[in-house]
Amino acid sequence: MTTSELRPASNSLRWTISDCLAMTGRNVRRLMRAPDQVVFTLLSPIMFTLLFRYVFGGAIRGLGNINYVNYLIPGIAVQTAIFTAGNSGFALAEDRGKGFIDRLRSLPMARSAVLAGRVSADTLSNAVGLFIIIAVGVAVGFRPESIPGLLLGVLLLLGFALATCFIFALVGMYASNVQTVNAATFPVIFPLTFASSAFVPTSTMPSWLRAFADHQPVTIVINAVRALTIGNVSSAQREQLFAGQSTSSLVIQSLLWALGIGLVFGSLAVRRYNSTSI
Amino acid sequence: MVADSLVKTFNGTVKALDGVSFEIPQGTVLGLLGPNGAGKTTAVRVLTTLLKPDSGRASVAGIDVVARPQAARRVIGLAGQYAAVDEALTGRENLLLVGSLNHLDRRARQQRATDLLDRFDLSDAADRTLKTYSGGMRRRLDLAAALVARPPVLFLDEPTTGLDPRSRIDLWSVISDLVNDGTTLLLTTQYLEEADRLADQICVVDHGRVIAEGTASELKDRLGGTLVEVTLDDDGLAAAAVGALSGVGDDHDSVKREGSVVRVATATGPATLTEVVRRLDAAGIEFAGLQLRQPSLDDVFLALTGHAAEEAATAPKSKPSRRQKEPVS
Ligand SMILES: Nc1ncnc2c1ncn2[C@@H]1O[C@H](COP(=O)(O)OP(=O)(O)O)[C@@H](O)[C@H]1O
Ligand SMILES: [Mg+2]
Repeated sequence: MTTSELRPASNSLRWTISDCLAMTGRNVRRLMRAPDQVVFTLLSPIMFTLLFRYVFGGAIRGLGNINYVNYLIPGIAVQTAIFTAGNSGFALAEDRGKGFIDRLRSLPMARSAVLAGRVSADTLSNAVGLFIIIAVGVAVGFRPESIPGLLLGVLLLLGFALATCFIFALVGMYASNVQTVNAATFPVIFPLTFASSAFVPTSTMPSWLRAFADHQPVTIVINAVRALTIGNVSSAQREQLFAGQSTSSLVIQSLLWALGIGLVFGSLAVRRYNSTSI
Repeated sequence: MVADSLVKTFNGTVKALDGVSFEIPQGTVLGLLGPNGAGKTTAVRVLTTLLKPDSGRASVAGIDVVARPQAARRVIGLAGQYAAVDEALTGRENLLLVGSLNHLDRRARQQRATDLLDRFDLSDAADRTLKTYSGGMRRRLDLAAALVARPPVLFLDEPTTGLDPRSRIDLWSVISDLVNDGTTLLLTTQYLEEADRLADQICVVDHGRVIAEGTASELKDRLGGTLVEVTLDDDGLAAAAVGALSGVGDDHDSVKREGSVVRVATATGPATLTEVVRRLDAAGIEFAGLQLRQPSLDDVFLALTGHAAEEAATAPKSKPSRRQKEPVS
């Protein structure tokens, strides 16, 4: 058999899709073979759930008639989505470090498939992680007001998770190992997830912090998911919980943030991937 | 395959490639021989489209790798310096993934994976994850992955570095077979013995430059045919021996000392051997060992670079007779 018979031209859309699927499959398989890694990522959100539900929850004020656990779980879910997205950075740094990316680069595959396969796999793993976290939430008393609202919230969250994967992927394209990815992202992730409405209403924060917390994307997404799951609230509560914003406005802002983050970091990551070789 | 005046500088200062040129006729093997840091991997990375050269041209099977990288990727196979296989997958899954990314259809890639696993003696381990593989098995799988799409041009970057002698010899025979199938091969190595054994032509590289090229025997001829090697008890005695032996051999700088060993390059081995014994005897210098041998590529390297090939010491020490070029069959 000659080479040309064996390897057809690879510039068609069909090959691009098949390459993306092959890479996603490989990445998912890796995740399934190391479930401890996924479980480990879920450990801290689960601990936070228990801690805030049972230890701090009783002391949190400013929620009116809203049950704190219903307030808490959307925050935990967004935190889970961000932590799980971190794997995009870790796994890319590892693949680069081990020379696996070099092997891929020497193949006539679609270049976009490396990144696409990575973020797809991590978004799938995010779906599983969110399912587990919501199940834990239900076990400790989380009762979403509407199931369609919950499903919409999860979809929104997955879109945001996908965008977040690109941020980590970009870091993973520069960092030489997992520790570096961690060190580079932790100082950003930590304030974004905690200086947010995840655990306490921003109305309880000092005004300078509240100004930041109310407008940063993590709060926007948490509030959107919360607004979708918590049901009707009075206008006073809307003022306190969501800085007066309507559910639809929160959802649209979340989508715009996800789109913006995905486009900016996605194209930076693609640029980086392409620039390091011919 | 052609590399023409390749230059690659890292961080503005490290000249990894400083004008490297070589040519590999179709179906032949070029050994790129050099110590750690010589620029071998960088040369391979340029030729396999992984790295853009600062200047110079590179082509594989007539395809310019900078202008048409994707076309070049269709004709090359690469087994890099570190086995680039996926630890978490099985041997078969690794080959199927590469087959899929080479766009072989399902039947073709399954058949190919089975054939390669068989050929590389990995059938028993085919469905185990690589965590259970030995270093030699990983290397073989990595090589198999490079061969999935039957590339006519193959790159092997230090394929046996870090392997035990037994695995090294196994891998050599596999590579010899490949070469018989007509594959064009660029092989890099720090092991002089390996280049001698596998390559038709050898390029010696050091500090990003080709400092010598030719067949193994041509390179050996540069040292003047035969070596008389005298081993003494210490460096001082060896220095004295160099004095006593001045003028022996083919020309004024035929006598060289390395530690407590003195070597005399000569075209007329036995006569020189007698002369050496006579002179040392006359000077009253006792020696611990004396032998007449063909120069090894280690000697060539030492003569060319003025320093030993750093890693050569870790290569399995072999008797001079094994260093003779064996017909690759
Ligand atoms: N990505 C890189 N960044 C900076 N320096 C590099 C890089 N790759 C190689 N080098 C340097 O270039 C030189 C040649 O390296 P390399 O081609 O790996 O040598 P070899 O494969 O012969 O051991 C070395 O000095 C090495 O440190
Ligand atoms: Mg190298």
